[in-house]
Amino acid sequence: MERILSRWVDIPNLRDIEVYEAHGGYRALRKALFEMTPEEIIEEIKASNLRGRGGAAFPTGVKWSFIPRNSEKPVYVVCNADESEPGTFANRYQLENDPHGVIEGVLICCRAVNAHTAYIYLRGEFALQKRRLDEALAQARARGYIGRNIMGSNFDVEVYTHRGAGAYICGEETALLESLEGKRGYPRNRPPFPATYGAFGCPTVVNNVETLSNVPHIIARGAQWYRSIGPEKSPGPKLFCLSGHVNRPGLYELPMGFPLKDMIYREDLGGGILGGKKLKAVIPGGSSFPVFTAEEALKVNMDFESVRAAGSLMGTGGVIVMHEDTCMVDALRTIARFYHHESCGQCTPCREGCSWIEKLMIDLEEGRGTMEDLDRLIDIASNMEGNTICVLADSLAMPVKSFVPKFRDEFEEHVRLKRCPFKFSAKFVSFTSSERPSSHAVDGLSSS
Amino acid sequence: MPKVTINGQQLDAPQGINLIQAAEMLGIEIPHYCYHPGLSIAGNCRMCLVELQGVPKLQIACNTRVAEGMVVHTESPRVKKAQAAVLEFLLLNHPIDCPVCDQAGECKLQDYYMDYDRQPSRFPLGKKNKKGKALDIGSGLMLDQERCILCARCTRFFDEVTRTSELAIFERGDHCVVDTYPGRKVNNPYALNVVDICPVGALTEKEFRFKMRVWYLHRTPSVCGACARGCSIDIDHHRGRIYRYKPRYNPNVNQWWMCDEGRHSFKLLQGENRLLKPRYQADGRLATEGWDTAIARAAERIRGCASQYGPNAIGALVSAQATNEEIFALKRFMARAVGSTVVGGVSWTPVGASPDDNFLIRGDKNPNTAGLKAMGLLENGLGWVAGLVRRGQIKVLILLRCDPVRILGESEFMAWFGALDHLIVLDCIATQTMAFANQVMPIAAYPELDGSFTNFEGWVQRLRPAFDPPGEARPALEVIGALERELLKVEWNYSAASVFAELAQAEPAFEGLTLEGLGAHGARIAMSRNGSGP
Amino acid sequence: MKDSTPAPQFSEATLEEFKQTLSRYPTRRAALLPTLWLAMREFGWISPAVEEYVARLLDLPTSHVHAVVTFYEMFHRKPVGKWHLAVCTNLPCRLRGADEIVAAIKNRLGIDNHETTPDGMFSLETVECLASCATAPMLQLNQDAYIENLTVESVLKLIEELARRAD
Repeated sequence: MERILSRWVDIPNLRDIEVYEAHGGYRALRKALFEMTPEEIIEEIKASNLRGRGGAAFPTGVKWSFIPRNSEKPVYVVCNADESEPGTFANRYQLENDPHGVIEGVLICCRAVNAHTAYIYLRGEFALQKRRLDEALAQARARGYIGRNIMGSNFDVEVYTHRGAGAYICGEETALLESLEGKRGYPRNRPPFPATYGAFGCPTVVNNVETLSNVPHIIARGAQWYRSIGPEKSPGPKLFCLSGHVNRPGLYELPMGFPLKDMIYREDLGGGILGGKKLKAVIPGGSSFPVFTAEEALKVNMDFESVRAAGSLMGTGGVIVMHEDTCMVDALRTIARFYHHESCGQCTPCREGCSWIEKLMIDLEEGRGTMEDLDRLIDIASNMEGNTICVLADSLAMPVKSFVPKFRDEFEEHVRLKRCPFKFSAKFVSFTSSERPSSHAVDGLSSS
Repeated sequence: MPKVTINGQQLDAPQGINLIQAAEMLGIEIPHYCYHPGLSIAGNCRMCLVELQGVPKLQIACNTRVAEGMVVHTESPRVKKAQAAVLEFLLLNHPIDCPVCDQAGECKLQDYYMDYDRQPSRFPLGKKNKKGKALDIGSGLMLDQERCILCARCTRFFDEVTRTSELAIFERGDHCVVDTYPGRKVNNPYALNVVDICPVGALTEKEFRFKMRVWYLHRTPSVCGACARGCSIDIDHHRGRIYRYKPRYNPNVNQWWMCDEGRHSFKLLQGENRLLKPRYQADGRLATEGWDTAIARAAERIRGCASQYGPNAIGALVSAQATNEEIFALKRFMARAVGSTVVGGVSWTPVGASPDDNFLIRGDKNPNTAGLKAMGLLENGLGWVAGLVRRGQIKVLILLRCDPVRILGESEFMAWFGALDHLIVLDCIATQTMAFANQVMPIAAYPELDGSFTNFEGWVQRLRPAFDPPGEARPALEVIGALERELLKVEWNYSAASVFAELAQAEPAFEGLTLEGLGAHGARIAMSRNGSGP
Repeated sequence: MKDSTPAPQFSEATLEEFKQTLSRYPTRRAALLPTLWLAMREFGWISPAVEEYVARLLDLPTSHVHAVVTFYEMFHRKPVGKWHLAVCTNLPCRLRGADEIVAAIKNRLGIDNHETTPDGMFSLETVECLASCATAPMLQLNQDAYIENLTVESVLKLIEELARRAD
């Protein structure tokens, strides 16, 4: 398959604007400015059935169409580059290697919703990525793609980068907007929705990096072409982030609907399980989503509908693979620690529940757990789920409600033995340099 | 008016209200912590989750506006489970120190636990997060961070109402704490409102701490007398003693709030300086006497003076501390029983008092200046009456809640008023003028009164008596009534309602009003530009 | 690293950057995070004096500045070492040996998490996922460069190199 979103692998120095232009860069923007009306752009995106890649899979064109036409207030476009979901790292490489692809998507979106200001909100840790973007923005400005009267179209647009400062919750779109406004990253109550009351109280589109980088390709090559990739209901290319116990962890661009088994085992992809061990579990969409047992994982295809049908969610496409030596109690404890650490503290069930679950998980892992704790975990998770402003509470509830029943024996064993049975085996692997398998994320991406 | 159905009951709801308000109109309580009608919607406590027909997730009632055809369930099994869960989460890190908590008895954690949870704890006490306790954060506020449920009512109050942001939430997740900026203290004349709106025992009033269990307190609606705003209040009292004022919601006057100065103003009205017995001057000291002799003595002096010098030799001064009824009764008494037209008003504020601000506080520290003016009395009648006295035209003077010595100083007072034959003081607390009085009559303070004040914007608000006046003190209306009876030998009805009814007939500004009709939020009189009645 | 004096003050160049930053947003408050980042660069950490300075620059209540500083993870609230090592210990990194990396660093430097060596050279902080899961385990140096595919050997070598670079 042709690499689309990760074509920097095949095109050296794509982040340089001259190289980007030489490979068709900013032609989609030209088309959007001179050959299409804003309505036609939105229709094209709707027709492509592009769905948000940030986790919620909402149809992008529909989201854009919610922005009021002829708004009296300014309209903002915000690109969510807060990529923080554990197991996810696609945006990062896109920003490093193809910043113009993201910027062009942002600019087309601005044109479609008549926004004259866009912010790209990067997580605080993305220092390199911010530098790359700022360089690319300066290049684009120098070429007349950003600023006043871009490309002689009478359309003015400014694009700024904005750096967060270390808070997972700011990936949630309304928390991101609060953070952009200089506040604590507290998710907002909805309604009102960002489409009417977003950044600075104005209509706002918030789209993920990967979502927006699909846009220039759709505008350049058409919705028809786009829909020919992957399944009907969730078409398009997808950047899958493969991590954990595989021989070749990396970023793989594959069509939606790709079999998870092939992703893990094919020689040119995951290359099988580390050390030839047995597969135990896979989290298919980043750590917020229900875990699959090995049997479940090997049957599923990676698109929004199929993963949902199999009982999990594809989220961001962060695939975390765990082999037989992994202690599932310790794995869940690690996940619980994360959500406890990242809960913003607003809503009672999340603030208290995440902390309680982590405490119970520490007890279990350290041999102080009880059988009642196992049911209690499910109970707490159920009480958190769906009862808060945002879905961070659900993001811990879902792993809890899948780990505990699916690996109940292992949890019970911790209770019975009053210790972790994995304590004296290699629970988590480490390597000396000679044994280290090569990584494929940065240089030499694979694709099918 | 959207039609909504809540628990099977139908309501034509006013546009724009939320489901907590709509349910309240049907007498259905939707429990909540963070929601407060005077603050922005936070939606963080999650206690007000309700089920909306056709919506898969439970929704918070505070952020859900009524809409046509909305069907709401507030007591379904799912809602009950969610409410119990929220309470369990809230109590998880709560210290459960109710026996030493001042909030006990009016704590929403206690109340809702009994109403919506009642499960034993599943979380060991030893594992609770430790945070700051009994922190003195200034302005009389005590903060207990362990009891705090992070509803952000207090921070929203300081952000949105006073716009001073003294308190904020710091840190993140379950490490979140409400606090002042490190090293700073709250210094805000409205600080104690956050004690009222704190639904738990996290913010308590330093001065009230450990003084009284709230379940012993009785509550009487009234009006604060500390300035011309006249905030609606509830008087919380026990056995004839006031323990605190709490602001009472009044959309016309003070919304949900009051200032700390007003809140503490009751302290002046109780204690050693309260006047308890009628007194008369005998051999250079004030001796006590019974009411009958006191009234007879005063009437005799008035009668004697009138026959010797004419009725206008008897004058009266009434301050804007008096109620509308007191002012009117005195004015009418002077006209009808004495035949004098010399009645002056006094609205005086000491130098250095807190000035007008852009919220509630008024520089005029009298609760009834507008009432005084609406009844045609001068604001500064002191000079006029003083002149009459100095010229020897007035020989007997009645002072109602009026302390000219405090205003003028002793020597100046003597220079103007030294020629008086007889000075009668009616007041509730000891005054400086008392030392020069021939008679002192103890009257009830306003928390003990039925009646009304007129605030600076013309809102006439009802006072209700919290308890009987102390000692032998009597409402001023009764004293004036007794004097009139003594002079005219006619029985008049001196109840506040009846005096108000006559006032409404006699004074054009008050036309059409009745005391009963003032209701909880008062009624407004027309105010002319120069301040006197139309 | 500069110590925060009681009255911190941005350099001329930074003040210029600050003014540019303000022009990007419709509200002054929106410049808070960028301004705190300028302060991090200029002063190394966000002391109370820096909070007050930033509050003055942006016309914000100091409590709001502090509320924001304490919400985000990356604003240092105490001075850190010349080399700040932020090691990811989230699940994908732990699956590939992050625990051993942390143990090796602690052992080598004699410090615990959130501590700084007495000579002020190194600080250790374990952090959550940094979007480097395919190159796990990894650390971020001074909140900037990612050092990836760590082994115990490579991280110890890194520390040696950094220690030498300080001379």
